Amino acid sequence: MTIILRRLLALPIILLIVYSITLTLAWAVPGNPLENPEKRPKPEVIEQMNKQYNLDSFPRFYVSYLSNATGYQYAKDFFSGQMKRERELSDQLGIPVPARPIFDFGPSLKYDDATVNEIIRDTLPVSVTLGASAILIALFIGVGAGVIGAVKPNSFLDLSTLAVSMVGISLPGFVIGTLMLLVFAIKLDWFPIGEWGTPKSIVLPALTLSLPFAAYIARLTRMGMIDSLSADYIRTARAKGAAEYSVLLKHALKNAFLPVLSFLGPATAMAMTGSFVIERVFTVPGMGEHFVNAVQNKDLFLIIGVVLVFATMLIVFNLVVDVLYRWVDPRIT
Amino acid sequence: MLVPIVLLIFLVGFSVISDRPQPPADLVFINSSEVNTLDPQRMSWMHDLRTARLLYQGLVQNDVLSDDFAIIPGVAETWELSDDGITYTFHLREDALWSNGEPVTSEDFRYSWRRAMLPDLVSDYVNMFLNIQGAQEFYDWRQTQLEEFTDRSFESAADRQAQAYELWKHTQDKFDELVGMKAIDEHTLQVSLKHPVPYYLELCAFVVFSPVYEPLVSQYERPDPVTARLIRKPGWTKPKVLISNGPFTLEEWRMKRDMRLEKNTHFWDKDSIAIESISIPSITDPNAGVLAYQTGALDWISDVTAPYRGDMVAQKLEFLEEHSDEVAQYRAQGLDQFTIDRLLPPDPRAHTHAVSSFGTYFYNFNCKPNLPDGQPNPFADARVRRAFAMCVDKRSVADEVRRLGEPTASTLIPPGSIGGYSSPKGLPNIGDAASQAARNEIINKAQQLLKEANFPDDFIVSLAFNKDSGHDLIAQAIAKSWQKHLGVKTKLEQNEIKIFRDDLKNKQYMTARAGWFGDYGDPTTFLDINYSTDGNNDRAYDSEEFDSLLDQASTELDPVKRLSLLSEAERIITEEDLPLIPIFHYATIYMFDPHKITGLSTHPRTKQNAFLIDVLDDNRGPNMPKPMRHQSDPIVEANSP
Repeated sequence: MTIILRRLLALPIILLIVYSITLTLAWAVPGNPLENPEKRPKPEVIEQMNKQYNLDSFPRFYVSYLSNATGYQYAKDFFSGQMKRERELSDQLGIPVPARPIFDFGPSLKYDDATVNEIIRDTLPVSVTLGASAILIALFIGVGAGVIGAVKPNSFLDLSTLAVSMVGISLPGFVIGTLMLLVFAIKLDWFPIGEWGTPKSIVLPALTLSLPFAAYIARLTRMGMIDSLSADYIRTARAKGAAEYSVLLKHALKNAFLPVLSFLGPATAMAMTGSFVIERVFTVPGMGEHFVNAVQNKDLFLIIGVVLVFATMLIVFNLVVDVLYRWVDPRIT
Repeated sequence: MLVPIVLLIFLVGFSVISDRPQPPADLVFINSSEVNTLDPQRMSWMHDLRTARLLYQGLVQNDVLSDDFAIIPGVAETWELSDDGITYTFHLREDALWSNGEPVTSEDFRYSWRRAMLPDLVSDYVNMFLNIQGAQEFYDWRQTQLEEFTDRSFESAADRQAQAYELWKHTQDKFDELVGMKAIDEHTLQVSLKHPVPYYLELCAFVVFSPVYEPLVSQYERPDPVTARLIRKPGWTKPKVLISNGPFTLEEWRMKRDMRLEKNTHFWDKDSIAIESISIPSITDPNAGVLAYQTGALDWISDVTAPYRGDMVAQKLEFLEEHSDEVAQYRAQGLDQFTIDRLLPPDPRAHTHAVSSFGTYFYNFNCKPNLPDGQPNPFADARVRRAFAMCVDKRSVADEVRRLGEPTASTLIPPGSIGGYSSPKGLPNIGDAASQAARNEIINKAQQLLKEANFPDDFIVSLAFNKDSGHDLIAQAIAKSWQKHLGVKTKLEQNEIKIFRDDLKNKQYMTARAGWFGDYGDPTTFLDINYSTDGNNDRAYDSEEFDSLLDQASTELDPVKRLSLLSEAERIITEEDLPLIPIFHYATIYMFDPHKITGLSTHPRTKQNAFLIDVLDDNRGPNMPKPMRHQSDPIVEANSP
């Protein structure tokens, strides 16, 4: 229990460090979010934007972002009566006060009509859905293939799963993705293209996204199974007459699964925060694209926003894995 | 062990069930990229402008389906210009309504244009508004006030905030006092300009001049308590919230997913709209777009960027070649390319269309006397620039490298794109030489020019370009022609776009690729970038003669004389001084079935009003093909027999 508490307490500190590093790096990226392929915004326009968002001073940006994102600014305005005054002044002008988020991650500099909060709110669930499906498929395929391979090591079945998983690891997503589209969507017309939201539309991207994870899980499972199948307790289990499936799945797999479990933490975080390539190829409205595009557009608020989400998920999933670890194998403390 | 897995399954199941897509729309097209904003005063991207023309309507609009791209009524039914060319009086139609049924008034235009003139709104096109009387003064006044406000000290935060609101009120009064925009009555708007602007109606047809609905938008704008700048909160452009006055309303807008528009039942001209709903899915991957089109999920791709599009265009040319007799006959009749495609037998190859664009691809010369390293710059000499320009084989760049059927360029402004403007001839170019002898003559001339200019031996030219989009291939082809014909070696410098841009801005280059798209139908939209003090003058070109021609043109009242002054200015840069080498005029590649979709324009200004589209044989609208009209043709009502 204390470990969970300790990790959760460390979370804000880690996020602060991540924030500082990300901001420093992103600040150094050349260019500007108003950039247009054939047109350059006027210098005075850029200057105005910089003033508006504190983009002209690193320390000022650093502090103002922190106080908005942590809710400090909200609390301060709330308790100092600032918000009340604002409401009164708005009443005088006859305009309502727009809703204000407690944790304000700022505006998107590129997508003028959206805040970073909104972008994450809209895209993260999509990425989580896709990522969760992909991890499920990966577990199913990976563990299955790993166990089959380990039962008869170096058999034809084992070598062919190994070969397939090598292909899964090494082929880039846009190749597999485009191939899948060509075969299953165009030739066979089983799945739609450029659509999101129906159960059908999730199959191809989830499958494509799962392949590298599945391949990795298969190899981890196979190695773990081969190790544990030669262990003494397996011989004991067989000697006492346990059924073969129970030996494999109950006794051997439980131990062999530990390396897979530790891989699952970061893998789930990675899968659930979206993949740039998969999202592009299958037109999935997820968060992954922002990791690449926000940097290209120098959309500072968005870069920091998505990186913080990713960092949080990484930490949380690693924590979950640690807890599961202890539960699967009580020897670990 | 099973608990997290069950949870995962539950999660997937739930989100799939809770998320249902909409029924198909009458027209499905894809934009080149995700919409950045639907705030007309803040726009600058082509795909934003294209979407906004569906949602908003300005005072006037371009007749995109006519050869002369004439100005036709929008919200303004009629208008008059005073004799001195300074004051426009617009008479707004009474039946122009917002999508909530309220009338569009002259105050709406004052409010919207004021937004654009505020330095705190950071509008890309603010300069287009500053030729209204007093607008520059208003802009400067607000700017100064804001700067003073930042430096001022206040008793308390509360006082500071109250003062910020006070300043905002004052600003609104100041606008009324300074700026030459008067609402004579609810439906009469008077706009007074600083000096005559012959193309002013062209500006008014630009989406940035569209009105926004004050009671809605002003709710989302308030002075910042610390800086007093007007802070825009996003939110009013959201579906179901947005109130607009165009042919369509925003029903749904899911970031990176899709946008759905429905016909605006309050639009004054709604009976002429042949489609009820439009869906714009966000397919940003170029290949996925083409694949989706092939499965029939899309009606129109507005910008095909797939790497194999050159092959698609080649197949289209092959198709036209197979029907060359008919094509020649139709062309002789003056039919436009989409109409010709529709008259030919159906063929999937005919779905690709190369449409000329209001843009030009060119190479920049750094015209400064010294290079970044302090050495004298040989390109400061116009003779050297001319020689290099003559020896770029534009034909082979367009036909063999780009392969998109784009016309070679000898001028900066695409010829024929601006009514009444005659383009200069431009320099002779080896690519367009009629014979080998003519070609050799041009090469000899160029070599002689280099000799006259004492072009240093063994000088290595550096040529900068950004990664992607095939600029490297064009650079290689051009470096090869310079090497072959002028004996000059070229060093290719490829950079990330941001670094490349910065280098250009700081004139840290020798020669570099460039491109420009026009915003409005006047030559100045292209020529201004060569004015010595213009922010986009990457070439550091500084010619008194050129500047003075532009100055003269800006005060010339006679439109014919004015255009000839501008034509002379373009002649100077394309025949004598060559601060840039025009290489080709861009084409945009469309995909649509010419037998199914009609109402798209082939005019080189590349402005599509998607609300004019009719999906043929869909039992909606008149289902009549809409060919391009010639200037002389009478306007045929779509519903006439």
